[in-house]
This record gives sequence, structure tokens and C-alpha cells, in this order.
Amino acid sequence: MTSILPFIMAGDPSLDSLPVLLSEAKALGIEALEVGLPHSDPIADGPVLQAAAHRAIQAGATPLKVLEMLATCADSPDLILFTYLNPLLQIGLERLLQLLRPTAVKALLVVDLPDSEEPEFEARLRAAGYPMIPLLAPTTDLDRARNLLAVRADPGPEYPFAQRFAYVVARLGVTGSGSATDLGSVRERVKALQSLTSRPLAVGFGLSDPTVLAEVRAMGASPVIGSALVQALADGQRLGHFLGSRMG
Amino acid sequence: MHATEFQLPTRFGTGALGGCYAPETLMQPLIDLEEALRGAVSDPSFQGELKAELRHYVGRPTALTPAPRLAAKLGFRNVFLKREDLTHTGAHKINNALAQALLARRMGKEEVIAETGAGQHGVASAAACARLGLKCTVYMGVVDMARQAPNVARMKLFGAEVVTVEAGQGTLKEAVNEALRAWAGRCDKAHYILGSALGPHPFPTLVRTFQVVIGEEARAQSLEQHGALPDAVIACAGGGSNGLGLLVPFLGDALQRFAVEAGGHGSALGEHAARLDGGRLGVLHGCKTLLLQDEHGHTAETASISAGLDYPALGPELAALAMDGQVRVLRASDEEALAGARLLCETEGILPALESSHALARLPDLARMGFSSVLLGLSGRGDKDLSTYQSKLGL
Repeated sequence: MTSILPFIMAGDPSLDSLPVLLSEAKALGIEALEVGLPHSDPIADGPVLQAAAHRAIQAGATPLKVLEMLATCADSPDLILFTYLNPLLQIGLERLLQLLRPTAVKALLVVDLPDSEEPEFEARLRAAGYPMIPLLAPTTDLDRARNLLAVRADPGPEYPFAQRFAYVVARLGVTGSGSATDLGSVRERVKALQSLTSRPLAVGFGLSDPTVLAEVRAMGASPVIGSALVQALADGQRLGHFLGSRMG
Repeated sequence: MHATEFQLPTRFGTGALGGCYAPETLMQPLIDLEEALRGAVSDPSFQGELKAELRHYVGRPTALTPAPRLAAKLGFRNVFLKREDLTHTGAHKINNALAQALLARRMGKEEVIAETGAGQHGVASAAACARLGLKCTVYMGVVDMARQAPNVARMKLFGAEVVTVEAGQGTLKEAVNEALRAWAGRCDKAHYILGSALGPHPFPTLVRTFQVVIGEEARAQSLEQHGALPDAVIACAGGGSNGLGLLVPFLGDALQRFAVEAGGHGSALGEHAARLDGGRLGVLHGCKTLLLQDEHGHTAETASISAGLDYPALGPELAALAMDGQVRVLRASDEEALAGARLLCETEGILPALESSHALARLPDLARMGFSSVLLGLSGRGDKDLSTYQSKLGL
């Protein structure tokens, strides 16, 4: 279990800041980090990540430039590329694999790609060492969760956290602090999922308060911190300063 | 093995367009919706209630109106207009909105979410919800709210909350984004009435199912009133609810089918909403289809004088029919659409919506191609567009 799984939007505050942010995260002892590929229509994201994606696109952070920049970031935690499907489809599988190879990306989290839709694309990525991270939402019942965890299987304990974890969506809705998260129900779901699988679980959507993050850790899961971190970075805070008090 | 199994086909045509590219939060609601759809269409009591509402509330069947002066002016033997403009609320959108509102009630939902571009789907959803006693929230782009202001007022009168979407270019695409986000937040109690034949499965199939009444009626009326089918059928196409609704029932017939997209004010990316020539396959709003996008897979801006056609993706089933040669896709510019509207006003005394005017704009080409009897889908009435007509036509 990793103590925190941060999310940053590539290209925000700037593409040039990416190597610094990643090496700062690494120096803090961050094991894995989600890096968002800015998209024009982020349908699962709340206002903070929408705005960050928009700023990044305006500043020229295209998917290709982001992946090329990641290739220069040798000093980095393991990365999970957090993205929507269309930019990947437009890059194309072969080119995507070439672009991923020199980066620290270890897995992909494609928000709008259910297990059923691009099985060949997904299988090729997995075979090349880039598994899809399964998402488990409040609407995902245990039967469906069991199937999802089997289809997007745990590669095994010898693999790093970034390739093994399943992402538990804490509440209905989009990313960011829109509505309060009912920690009691999250605790119950995490417990039920832990009875299904021994793989690590990360919990995200709407978590930022240090005490809430600690409660998630107490469930035996890793809290994801996204919108709050992205906002802090946009406001000029240092990554180390913001995450320092939230590492547990 | 997959975790997700749908019962109905999720893909269309040889290109396997469509699919269900949705975030996990919405997957179970979409599976449930498909199940509800299957249950409803095979339930005589649902079908009976829908039929009665379409007759007594919507005013179906709508007329198939001969347009002899228009025909003579353009050199056709016959032009027939399928008059969706005569439905309650003034456009074909009510067919689907009412059926989905009935479905929402059947599913035990208390609340409805809808997006709208031209406002016709928003008005239709608001009306259907008022009639069935459901709470209704409509997401609408800020630009569309300005250009379709009368429809905003109508939605509010019907008790709907209209939420302004400021993001991006402030049109239909952004409204769909926001409606999908809202649904993800309230999918436990709300049904999302998508207005066009797009989005993740089962929406394209659901919307087509409830819109083919247009073409089924038109086909039967052609045979009954005129003893023959036309030799061409033409409709405008934004997402494709009206285009599919009219054209699908004619797929087995020996005639030509046309859909007309918005040519906007130019041919460069960003100046139009013509997806067949300008688009590439991509995924937006839950389905794979022809999409106007840049080389990075970001959705391109679009432009059209008609809010209802101003959308970067062609619905997947219509796109598949176009790519497989079953439907021929044309485009009409803003200027041509205005001329088409004026022509119908002057020859037949009917004020068409700007959307429908795009189909009217291509009638002269159909005459040149040698068609003699044409059936045109008049998707809606033009009252909502009066301010545009006034300013653009110098009235």
C-alpha cells in the first residue's frame, strides 16, 4: 500500500514544470503518480480538472508533447497515464507503444474505456506492459466488480503498485470536491472489495482533507489526491509543501 | 470474457460504429436502461400508453403535406413534407422525449436530466416532464441560450430548471458534457433523456426506436395518399435523431435516401458541422463515430447558423449508414439554408426551423439529379428562429 496517490495534469501549470514536479514527487518518496493527459471534453471531470485541462491545451500541451516530455523525465515515480480514449486512438497503437517506452508510465487509466469496447487494443497494451487500471464505482455491484477485477487482472505481487491497484471511485459524480463523500459507505465498499481481492486499492474523487486521507489509509487503501493538488499547483504552491502534510 | 454484456446490438454497420464508451459510474445505469428499453417495447401496456400520448398529446400522426407550388418552382412532379413542425412543442424531439419520460417513470426515476442545442429537445423534455410530474433539469450552452431565447422561456414555463453551460463554445457539445456529468452525479434517482441518436449504447438505439414513427407514418401516408413511394427521401442531420427517424423505415425501399449536414460558413475545420467529409472516426460522448477533431483527438469547434445541427459528431447509426452507402450525405451552408427557408415560406406559407431549412436547401440539387417525387422531413417549425431570420433576411 502506498500512502498517497497524487494526480497532476500534464501541462499545468506548464509543460516545462513536469520534470520538476515528478522529481519533487520522487524525492518526497511518492511511489506512484497519476499524470493526466489534457483532453478537450473531460466528461468525468469536475470544474478544477476541466479548467486545468483547458489551460494545458491552450498552452500547447498536446498528447504528443506530453509523452515526449515524459520521456525526458528520468527521475520520476511510476506513472499511471490518466486519459480519455480518443487521443490514444488518434495516436494509434504502434506509435503509442513507441512513445510510452522511454517514459515512466507503467499503466493506463482510460476513463471512458469499459472492458468490453476495445479488447484488442487493450490486450496489446497489456502484453507490452501497460495494463488498464480497473475502476470500481458506487454503481458497480460486487458481481460486476469481481468480473472487472478478473478481466483487468492483478499481474501479481511481484509487480509495482502502479500496475496492480484497482481504483475505487468514492462517490457518484465527477472528480473534485463537489459534494461530500460519505466515508462510512466508502469503508463498507472497500471492505467488501478487499474480501474479493488481495490487490491494492486506491480511493479517489473528492478527497483532500488530511484527516479524510488518513481515514482512507486506515481502511487499508491508498487515497488519491487530484483536484485539490492541481488547484494548489495552479495557485503557485509547491508540490512538496502541499503533499508533505498529507502523506501520512 | 467481459464484465459488460448487453443484449441488443451495440454496433452499427461494417465499421462497427457506436459502442458504449462510458465511465464506470454510468455503466450499470446504461445496462439497466437497456433492460428497461427491452421491457418497455415488448410490454403492450407501455406501447398502448405511448401510442395514446402520441395521438392525444403530441398530435400524431402528423400530416404529409403535398407542396405543389414548391414542386413546380423547382421542377419536381411532387414534393411531400412530413410535418413534424405540427407536433406539440413544434419539432420531432417530442416523440423521443415523451417516450423516454414514460420510460423514466417506468424505471421509478423521480427526475430527468436533458441537454439541448436548439432548445427543441429541452422544451420537449420539459413538456413531457410537466405532463408526467417529473422534475426536469436542462443543460444548455450559453450561446444557444442567446440565439434560442424563446425556447429557454418555454422550458422555464413548463417548470424546468435551465442550467447555463459556459464552457467551450457554449453550444450542444458542452451541454452534453455537462448533462453526462450531472447524470453521473444523480444516476441513482435521475434518468438522462438524451435527445439525439448518439451517446453510449443504448441511447442511439433508444432514440432511433422512438423516432422511427416519423418514417413509418410517412411511408404509410405516401402509399395511402399517393399510391406510391417517392423516389427520394431527405432530412437534415445534426446528431441524427430526425434523419434516422425519417430514413430508417425506407431502408428496404428502392429509392435514394439523403441526409443534409450543416455546411456553416466555410470548409475549414471550425467553420462547419459537416462530419462526413470533414470528420474521422473517433470517440466522443460515449460512442465511436465520424467526428470533427484535430490531429490530437481533441474535438474541433463547429459552426452553424442552426443550433440543432451545430454538433461535432454524426450519430453512429447514421454515420454507419452513410459509410456503407445506404444514405447519401450532403451539406448546406448557412446562406443556402436561409434561402431554403425563404423558398418554403413564399411558396407554401410554412415557416421551417433553420435545421429543416438545410434539407430544403438541397432540393434544387435533387431536381437536377433527376428525382421527380421527393419526400422531405420538416423536422420543426421556425418560430424559435425568428430573430435569426429577421436579422439575416433583413425583415
